[in-house]
Amino acid sequence: MTSDVPFESPHEGPESDVDPMVAAFRHDVHKLRGRSHDAAQEVFRDARVNESVPLGADGDAARLSRPKGAPDETVANHQSPRRLSLVTGGTAVASDRIRASDDAPLDWLVLSTDPEVLHSRWLTSEAAAAYNESVYYPYTSLRFHVLLVAALLDNYRAGHEFADLHLVATPSGPLPDEGRTAAAARGSDAVEPFRTVLWSPVMSLHVTGEPGDRPSAPLGSCPARSFADTWSRLSAHPFDQSCRRWRRLDAQLRRVRSWSTALAYIEDYVAVYGDGDAR
Amino acid sequence: MTQVQQVLFELESDYQGHAYHVTGNALFNALARRVDARARKQLQVSHGVFVPSEYGEYPSAHSEVGYAGVLGKSLPAVENYADLFLYRDAAQRWLLDSRPRDAHNVPDIQSHGGRLAFAPRCWFGRPENVRNSKRSVQWFVQCYVHGGHDDDVLPLDDDVLDGLRVGAARNYGLGELSLKDTQLVELDELDYSRVEDTALNLELVSPFVLESEYPGADGQDVPWWWGVDGELRRRETRLVNGEEVHVLETVDHGQVVDFAGTDAVRTAKNGVLRVGTHAKYGFGEFRLRPAKRDRVPERAVGVGGATS
Repeated sequence: MTSDVPFESPHEGPESDVDPMVAAFRHDVHKLRGRSHDAAQEVFRDARVNESVPLGADGDAARLSRPKGAPDETVANHQSPRRLSLVTGGTAVASDRIRASDDAPLDWLVLSTDPEVLHSRWLTSEAAAAYNESVYYPYTSLRFHVLLVAALLDNYRAGHEFADLHLVATPSGPLPDEGRTAAAARGSDAVEPFRTVLWSPVMSLHVTGEPGDRPSAPLGSCPARSFADTWSRLSAHPFDQSCRRWRRLDAQLRRVRSWSTALAYIEDYVAVYGDGDAR
Repeated sequence: MTQVQQVLFELESDYQGHAYHVTGNALFNALARRVDARARKQLQVSHGVFVPSEYGEYPSAHSEVGYAGVLGKSLPAVENYADLFLYRDAAQRWLLDSRPRDAHNVPDIQSHGGRLAFAPRCWFGRPENVRNSKRSVQWFVQCYVHGGHDDDVLPLDDDVLDGLRVGAARNYGLGELSLKDTQLVELDELDYSRVEDTALNLELVSPFVLESEYPGADGQDVPWWWGVDGELRRRETRLVNGEEVHVLETVDHGQVVDFAGTDAVRTAKNGVLRVGTHAKYGFGEFRLRPAKRDRVPERAVGVGGATS
């Protein structure tokens, strides 16, 4: 298991050539730093960041979660990169938990040159969950956008086209002893590098061109805000339907069309209602 | 002549019943004590679908086109077959993209000592310089009733429909429904041209019962005229009548199969009147849709296309 130090390979001067999978996890660093795309810097602590992602994976992932065309302001009083939670109605992560003034979480999410390490960190990072994809769509989640970009890119690089892809839903299994940490994600059978987009106690979700015989549903002919449709066509339920709180989550997910909003809803719902005696 | 009566209720208090729908069974039981024996015998009640009240535009298959103003708190006129389903899809596709549509379409959850309930309103903050600093999205429930072969059962009077209580804890004020709007629809007079002479999908709007523990109820196979590729997702649910609880094994709603039958228009009407066991209580509702008109607008033929 790789240790979780921020930056394994010290460089002298900026990196020259970056693995496209690494670029996928670094392509929206300007959003974590509250900068516009145009004002984005190309280098962050010697790491190449804000590079465009090959094979159209970024644009396709954006279409899974946001409307096409020029963005519109949708929430009048929230011109902010902070994500709003559909579960609580407020900002998703309290300010004191993301330490916005301090770059430590950013180092952790950006500086590794091992793309599998970056995947495991984005999959488990609470700090990344604090940001939206676009100030115009504050209920979307930058964290799940980046994970969807990586999943699409990995599938495209393996020769799959978008129309071949499936959403796969699997039970997550017991909680690792150390909790859902990045290191635990890399050691977990429930997590597939790049293609797992959600690793939560209630289930894991994967985007893959190789669904096998797991519960799955096709993503459709082209990228669209289709989460509710894809979810409600899964070939089997991934979680215990006898439990009222999970039926409620299932019912809510049949309403949410934006992919990153829906994935964030699952995490927020599990955090608020997943433990204790809620039913 | 086959009439259905569409009913729109305003949700007045927290709702603590089934998560997916207010079941036809719950609505039937609430109505049954208010009507005479003949109506009770004939009355068929659909599941109630939760609908937010918000600005919207009509979906492309609707008989009206374009911006619709506020939808959800009234029943628009029904002229074609697709109009019947405007509110019957949990994804409520008429919601505008220019507003936070997912936030408007997810009911707020309230916890009553650990028991989760849907709240009748969801509040949204607004900038402080706006005079009314908060706005809310209010929730409604849409269902329809029909009288089997006895059209004289309809229409149900407003005072029969107003003030029903559904779900758990209804003796404590939860699950109160007030009547907001109702209208009669003559199924035989609708325009079905969009489902004629074309390849069709069949979308399950409510669960289809395969097995029922209810005394005397028949088990059913998946109908031959559903072109099923692989296994359909199943879900266990319950039919509750007072103290009695009957377990049902169903094909879960929301799934889409090919339509492999012949008489599409007749089948379309049957889908509204529902098929299979416990159709009287809302099970077995389905919609036919042209196969080329994807229910996700961006994926429909001629709109958007593959980009990668």
